[in-house]
Amino acid sequence: MKKIKIKPQKLFNVAITYLIILAVCFIFLFPILWLVLASFSKTGSIYSFDGFFPTEFSLDSFIRLFTDTDLYNYPRWFLNTLFIALMSSLIGTTLTILTAYVMSRFRFKSRKTMMKMTLILGMFPSFMTMTAVYLMMTQFNLINQQWGLILIYSAGAPMGYLTQKGFFDTIPSSIDEAARIDGASNFIIFIKITLPLAAPMIVYTLLSSFVWPWSDFILPQLLLKNKDLYTVAVGLMSLDDTEFSRFAAGSVFIAVPIVIFYFALSKFLISGLSAGAVKQ
Amino acid sequence: MENLTKQSAKSKIVGFFSDRGRKISEFFKSLPQRIKTKFAGAKEILYEGNGKVRASMLIMGLGQLMYRQWAKGILYMLVQAAFLAYFILRGASDFIGFFTLGTQESNAWYGIEGDNSVIMMLMGILSIIAIIFYAVIYVSNIKDCYVIQCAADTLKNPKSFKKELAELLNQKFYKTALALPIVGVSVFSILPIIFMILIAFTNYGGNIVPPALVDWVGFDNFGRILTLGQFAPTFFKIFGWNILWAVLSTALNYFAGLGLALLLNKKCVKGKTIWRLFPILAYAVPGFITLIAFKYMFSYGGPINQMITDAGGTAIGFLDIDAKWTARLIGLFANAWLNIPSSMLLATGILSNMNSDLYEAARVDGASAWKQFVKITLPYVLFATMPVLISQFIANFNNFGIFYFLRGGLYMDGYFLASDTDLLINWLYNMSIDNNYYSIGAAISIIIFIVTSVISLAVYVLSPSYKQEETYQ
Repeated sequence: MKKIKIKPQKLFNVAITYLIILAVCFIFLFPILWLVLASFSKTGSIYSFDGFFPTEFSLDSFIRLFTDTDLYNYPRWFLNTLFIALMSSLIGTTLTILTAYVMSRFRFKSRKTMMKMTLILGMFPSFMTMTAVYLMMTQFNLINQQWGLILIYSAGAPMGYLTQKGFFDTIPSSIDEAARIDGASNFIIFIKITLPLAAPMIVYTLLSSFVWPWSDFILPQLLLKNKDLYTVAVGLMSLDDTEFSRFAAGSVFIAVPIVIFYFALSKFLISGLSAGAVKQ
Repeated sequence: MENLTKQSAKSKIVGFFSDRGRKISEFFKSLPQRIKTKFAGAKEILYEGNGKVRASMLIMGLGQLMYRQWAKGILYMLVQAAFLAYFILRGASDFIGFFTLGTQESNAWYGIEGDNSVIMMLMGILSIIAIIFYAVIYVSNIKDCYVIQCAADTLKNPKSFKKELAELLNQKFYKTALALPIVGVSVFSILPIIFMILIAFTNYGGNIVPPALVDWVGFDNFGRILTLGQFAPTFFKIFGWNILWAVLSTALNYFAGLGLALLLNKKCVKGKTIWRLFPILAYAVPGFITLIAFKYMFSYGGPINQMITDAGGTAIGFLDIDAKWTARLIGLFANAWLNIPSSMLLATGILSNMNSDLYEAARVDGASAWKQFVKITLPYVLFATMPVLISQFIANFNNFGIFYFLRGGLYMDGYFLASDTDLLINWLYNMSIDNNYYSIGAAISIIIFIVTSVISLAVYVLSPSYKQEETYQ
């Protein structure tokens, strides 16, 4: 048996890599750790902390979050947000992936015009259109309706198709052609070949179109006037200043679904399925 | 060398615009010819079309029914019926209202409910969009009937409905796939934008909000922003900072995200999934919560200042009214913290799709890691993400949340309804939502649009993703 020798230079390289990774992880973890610990504080006020962290811990704020619902109905807000975000993410992702696929693979008359149009439209500050969207929603009777929000989020989603198109552009088209020779229609190619290859991108799209409604507060604040319809973002914004640990507890709790998502879907995000599909 | 690339970039941009100029003049020169060919088709249908085609012109789908194309004919008829119902019930009055913007002023004394100009404008635009959609379907109906006629004249069997449906999933799949996105984007993106543009040319705002009647005023609002002492100094100060902010934050987020993805992609790193979880955690917590947390962290009573006072120092107002650059740096840092995870995810996805042969070849040739990055990774990633990079630049240029949460609602001397960290978008918010200056706000947003579009168009034209879409296919 040969003895494996590790070069000192390589060892140094690995050490530096891990050192940077640790530092980065610390930077990303620290504010969250702070928020999590604050949510377990007993007094509930930021001013009783010793430096960054509270001195006494208890589960009070979480218990109050879910039981003391007269004034701040957190469980209700949570379900509202979950519904809106899930629906918008599913519909929005479908529309975005379809748009991106068509723009990447088809060559039709108004294609370049449409691409330029979306690019130009995307440059308008989306914010200024809020007034118009609000007025429109009053006309359609969609104020105080969760479907109104879902409609806005998912209808606006295809505007951000460029990321996905960039991804489809990098999938070799020789795969499509092989299927076409075998007699598959474009729809079949899309469903059976392109979609599985695009799994990492679909996951990315699902995640990002879920996170937007999940954490948006401007639109819900504008469109949902009824306290029972509030999303978590609007609800947490409406909390009183003295409720810092309740705020922290509520914030910690809404991070849970996205973390679960990541665990469930992470293998799609990382393995590039197309890497081994075609060797040119 | 650098000079040379600069020169070529400049000539590319100049070339692009002179190219556009040439294209525009060519367009106008060829216009009569184009109209002729366009109308040649229409003329042909008008002269050659038989009675059945004319029947379709009168009642959509009638011709198709006469050719025994039942399903299609009925579908076209339903479209017409639906449109007529809409037009009679509401479309026609909406359409007229768009031009008048209301004539009846409300009078509570006599109990008259007046016209609401703003709603009238909005619904007027909607009715125009509906008319355009209808016109497109109407023309397609006539063309379709004529195609059937041609087929029947040459004794060929016209395509069956089944076959046409199958075509919609094959050659014309793009039409099927784009139908819904186009309708959605038209109503929820294009309509509000048109509305906003039009508002910039009215006197909507201040005292003139419904029930008072709004009127068209032309370019007055733009003149007031650029010349009036009230707006102009604030505008130019905020504008300069806004450009600086957009460039710095986009570059920081992009390269830090790419660097992180490459770092975690290294072969020697074990447990990639676990390491990646840390940035994802940051991604999972909604932005506004993190921003409020950061605000607490840097506040007077916050933990950082507690530590400073415990060590015997005096508390620092990081986000105070006179803390110009510390506040700006904190904003940059907070924004990076929020956005690096998503740009890392994107880079990971793109890298995973990359052909690894190139690296092997490079390794055989003895290229260093840095050389591999500059010559293989960077061009590839830039190619795939250039459009994203542009949209990130625009998103950062219009990044509302950062300074709204960190330092919102601060009005400063020397600024009109703004502070020195506010971006144009924050100014816009202060003006239009908080202080009712709707038309001025709309005019500012048009200026923002012009700036961002010129910059990103120039970048886009220079990028390889525009010129050579198929490079990696």
